[in-house]
Amino acid sequence: MRVAKLVGGSLAGCLALGGAALAEDLTVWTLNYSSEAQVAALDAAEAKFEELHPGVNVEIVKRGTDEHKTALRVATGSDTGPDVYFMWAGLGLGGEYVKAGLSLDLTGYYEKYGWKDRVSTPSLAFVEAFGPGMHGAPYRFTGEAIYYNKGLYEKAGITEEPKTYEELVAAAKKLKEAGIPAFTFGGTVNWHVMRLMDVLLETTCGVETHDALTGMEADWSTTPCAAEAFQELKMWSTEYILAPFMGIDNRQSTNLFLTNRAAMMLEGDWQVNVIKEGANLDDFAVYPFPTGTDRLYGFAEYLYISNKSKNPDLAAEFLDMFSSTDFQNQIKGAFGALSVNKEVELGDDVPELYKTWKEIFANAKGTFVNGDQAFPLDVTTEYFRIINEVASGNMEPQAAADAMQAFISKRS
Amino acid sequence: MFHTAYLKTPRAQALILLVPAFGAYTVFAIWPMIDVVILSFQRWNGLSADRLWVGLDNYRHIFTHDPVYWIAFNNTVIWTILSVIFPPFVGLLLALGLNEKLFARGTMRAIYYLPVIIAPIAVATMWRWMYDPFFGLFNQVMTSFGLQSWIQDWLGDRDVALYSMFVAFTWQNVGFSMVLFLAGLQNVDRSLVEAARIDGAGRWQVFRHVTLPALQVTVTIVIVLSTISSLKAFDIVYGMTGGGPAQSTQMLALWAFTQSMQIFDFGRGSAISVTLLLITLAVVVPYLRWSQKREEAAR
Repeated sequence: MRVAKLVGGSLAGCLALGGAALAEDLTVWTLNYSSEAQVAALDAAEAKFEELHPGVNVEIVKRGTDEHKTALRVATGSDTGPDVYFMWAGLGLGGEYVKAGLSLDLTGYYEKYGWKDRVSTPSLAFVEAFGPGMHGAPYRFTGEAIYYNKGLYEKAGITEEPKTYEELVAAAKKLKEAGIPAFTFGGTVNWHVMRLMDVLLETTCGVETHDALTGMEADWSTTPCAAEAFQELKMWSTEYILAPFMGIDNRQSTNLFLTNRAAMMLEGDWQVNVIKEGANLDDFAVYPFPTGTDRLYGFAEYLYISNKSKNPDLAAEFLDMFSSTDFQNQIKGAFGALSVNKEVELGDDVPELYKTWKEIFANAKGTFVNGDQAFPLDVTTEYFRIINEVASGNMEPQAAADAMQAFISKRS
Repeated sequence: MFHTAYLKTPRAQALILLVPAFGAYTVFAIWPMIDVVILSFQRWNGLSADRLWVGLDNYRHIFTHDPVYWIAFNNTVIWTILSVIFPPFVGLLLALGLNEKLFARGTMRAIYYLPVIIAPIAVATMWRWMYDPFFGLFNQVMTSFGLQSWIQDWLGDRDVALYSMFVAFTWQNVGFSMVLFLAGLQNVDRSLVEAARIDGAGRWQVFRHVTLPALQVTVTIVIVLSTISSLKAFDIVYGMTGGGPAQSTQMLALWAFTQSMQIFDFGRGSAISVTLLLITLAVVVPYLRWSQKREEAAR
């Protein structure tokens, strides 16, 4: 009896060990999301992949932006780390990791799975822009535009959405006269106020000059529209942003917007879910910032496979599942209005705001990205500093343009 | 000829006990420090296998081209001066008060010490909410007392933000100084205090001529530890302002971290760290020597 128990126990142990040996782990590192819908979508990805691949254990690790970047950097300096990692697509963000050799070239997987035919054209913009090979698979493509509080617009006597920059300034003036701050921004996170500067630069400089400035091919100090954009930023900060804003972050700013303390926010299409979870969606509407160029302001986010992944094929399977028509339909609307999958269309049952977003995407003539995606990291850090100096009233517009160029010129 | 008898000597046994700890200390503390110094003469993005030797370029860059380095340097100096004065001074006052026989003395000591055991990042979050210009405690209290003119953008105004952070830092660190001074006060000879009082010395004279000289060693320890901890101020700044607005509250330790871990320029980050190390040594070593001489002279 005792022998039988021992044999049985040993067999059970062997089976358990055998099972453990067969089990595969797939680690995905991404960001913390504040929206419940986005968290649920990631949980769904984990569950679905495990369901499709019995024996595979998917672990999705979520961190704050800075912690994510730091963890990625630390982990990739060693032999441990994720199989798949999230990073924005810009040269100064995802590009840094590609340049450092952390990202696996996905050319073979693009061919095998036909991802190029599946995903939307704007979201592919950076895949081949990092240098040789193809890096990252589109995770989402997002646009940024002006959300406004219908009630506050009405209160200020604004009857139509501004179509030009001049009309937007006039609307802000009306709001101010009615005692309503036009915009709310959070200054502590740098990139929030940066959005305003980005769209102002597009407005004052136009497509080619804007791209030349952010591409560091044009001289900021001698390009008049650069100083003009800083001048406009100063004007908005002084006159039309809910103050004080330099000491609050984007979440605090969102709370102020949702509690009717300011009329507008410059946010991405993900904000629809944020509003839905904190206020009544019908009280808000959205329109593109009237830059006059008709380009969509937005950025792409990618999932990259780490070149340290012990199982890149399994990681590629995960990316394939994530952008598949089936799964994208399942999580429709969680990450924004536009799915990276061309086949996936939002239905008629979605909020009105998403329908507007669909129009914004459809009417866009090209795209331009956020400054922190366009610049290398050191320039981004200086760009933040200069923007904040101007927004705080401590730096004059021309001095800001000079400082920007001085930093770029001294880079080594 | 090696004798086993040698192993039984106190010196050998001390060495045996010290070797494992020294080995760990070398691997995890001394070597990283040496590596940071080496790295400060190299260019490295933290990922590639290659480290490019660039000589003094990183130092040249941070001293002449970096628009933030000197802001961080000045802030670090201001922060250190304030840290050496205020938390120890308040801590000493609290220690003197709580050294007397008071009702609930133990509870009060615990209450004042409590902030020390809270993680600095939690302290930062807590104070950030208290400083919130719209919903924060401070501005709401001021509003309810009709002191709207005193309301500030505590963390968003470059003229105020550094000092707002310092208040939170003081709140957290006062208890640490207090405990050290309380320990020091236990060494004050009661008979000397009583003798001085019999001779007609007042409270201030007793403190000035009896208590304070007896606290000399404690004062040295508190000042050295305050200096070191303030020079490497990081987490509270990271959590409260992130160095903003517009880098106006940036500190050398945080700027070194930003260069290395966010801009991925480990060479420049290390160069900033090395300057911070040199500043720390330049401040602490002379002070320690001076106080040692004073102690020797007093014996």
